[in-house]
Amino acid sequence: MRRSAWLLAVALLAASCGSDDEPESADAGGLTVFAAASLAEVFEQLAPEATFNFAGSDELATQIREGAPADVYAAAGPRYANELASEGFLDAPRVFATNRLVLIVPADNPAGIESVEDLGGEGVKLVIGAEGVPVGDYTRSVLETMGAEDVLDNVVSNEEDVKGVLGKVVSGDADAGFVYVTDSIAARDEVRAIELPVQPLVEYPIGIVKDSERYEAAEALIELVLGEKGRQALEEAGFGLP
Amino acid sequence: MRRGFDVLLAVATGLALAFLLLPMLALFLRISPAELVDALTSEVALDALWVSLKTGLIAHAFVLLVGTPAAYFLAMKRFRGRDVLVTLVELPLVLPPAVAGIALLTLFGQQGLLGQTLDAFGIQIPLTQTAVVLAVIFVAAPFYIRQGIASFEAVDPALTDASRTLGAGPARTFRRIALPLASSGLGAGSVLAWARGTGEFGATIMFAGSLQGVTQTMPLAIYAQLGLNQDVAIAIGALLVLVSVTVLLSVKLLPSWTRFTSASLIRSAPSGSS
Repeated sequence: MRRSAWLLAVALLAASCGSDDEPESADAGGLTVFAAASLAEVFEQLAPEATFNFAGSDELATQIREGAPADVYAAAGPRYANELASEGFLDAPRVFATNRLVLIVPADNPAGIESVEDLGGEGVKLVIGAEGVPVGDYTRSVLETMGAEDVLDNVVSNEEDVKGVLGKVVSGDADAGFVYVTDSIAARDEVRAIELPVQPLVEYPIGIVKDSERYEAAEALIELVLGEKGRQALEEAGFGLP
Repeated sequence: MRRGFDVLLAVATGLALAFLLLPMLALFLRISPAELVDALTSEVALDALWVSLKTGLIAHAFVLLVGTPAAYFLAMKRFRGRDVLVTLVELPLVLPPAVAGIALLTLFGQQGLLGQTLDAFGIQIPLTQTAVVLAVIFVAAPFYIRQGIASFEAVDPALTDASRTLGAGPARTFRRIALPLASSGLGAGSVLAWARGTGEFGATIMFAGSLQGVTQTMPLAIYAQLGLNQDVAIAIGALLVLVSVTVLLSVKLLPSWTRFTSASLIRSAPSGSS
């Protein structure tokens, strides 16, 4: 008897969990923001109450296409925001920040890297963003412009977002990596940044996801990011302003 | 009343089954068989398959070679602290993969416990294929060793004692008596360890990175292709579902198969050794 009561309780619990999703997520309140990994520090500072999903812009775009419950999408490049907008998933994205690419090395710079040319040296372990991830695409276009694509032979890992690149250089397991200047500033104690002679145009668009049930709150957040407070926080973190 | 309760149980079972099986079904419904084959023969998918197979086989060889005697030792010897050792061996089973990744980095990484020493010998493990193998061994070995201990413990001591009484040394007893009798359990453990190793993701991406043809295993390729070429991601996913089905079926079928062969072995053993 006691055992069947226990089973019943479990079954009821399972059944109730199956149908009560909606009110629970509404109770959690706040916005769900899908943002490029490079925006983590600034966005968490600007809207600490929001729920964030920081990852590669491409991965976030895929999740939004599949119906992930995002209200706001902020990407590290126009490509995926424009794609989402033209497919009807995102409302008119606006550029709110710009960024620069830098080459970073661990603070003790074990491989003695001083320039992009040094990356081609024997045994240098280079980590970059994967193809399709904005930071990875920017890296490839910079190397192409510089005619230095051969350093790609020394790539030991293609990371799925910029924090993956940063982490492997911070830990010293990679000799060098390409990240945004804002990431290098966030980790300035552990890495040294080397300026690049060539810069891609790195623009950050932000927009409201079409299916958002918190449209007004999402608009308010975007106004905050575009407004004085947002501009100040972005500038402090090393972003450029449009 | 009683009938109502049965209905409730049946509904719960139905819900559970639907929830567990529908996602896998959706994977196969998303692309046609032709697209599946197309995607699986893409360079990324073939490279991932090769990396998974190569690292998996190397890791598995280590798991079997070291894990089998270790499991035998832990199963047969009685000493103080044995239970603690068995529990420690099982720890990676319940450890989150991300913890495994960061733990391997703090041991083998540049700033790790052994990293500097290894570096002095010119050995660097993180972000190499060796790192993939180590990650797979770390997460998969406990599955095999745990199952191995249980299998050796289940061997009737009367048989091993008889073998020793008849003059066989401990190594011979292990090889001719314990190993064949435990083989069905060891086989199941081996298959489970292989499955866990094939699915390894978290520790690998942190410790070994992701480079096509070198460290990008199938699960990592799924992740990398998600935003780039979803067909490939789905196709690799579907392939891994098929692998898992095979694994599960072999675990279910293996015991009945080896029970038959090992039973005949017991019967023939006395006449064989006399």
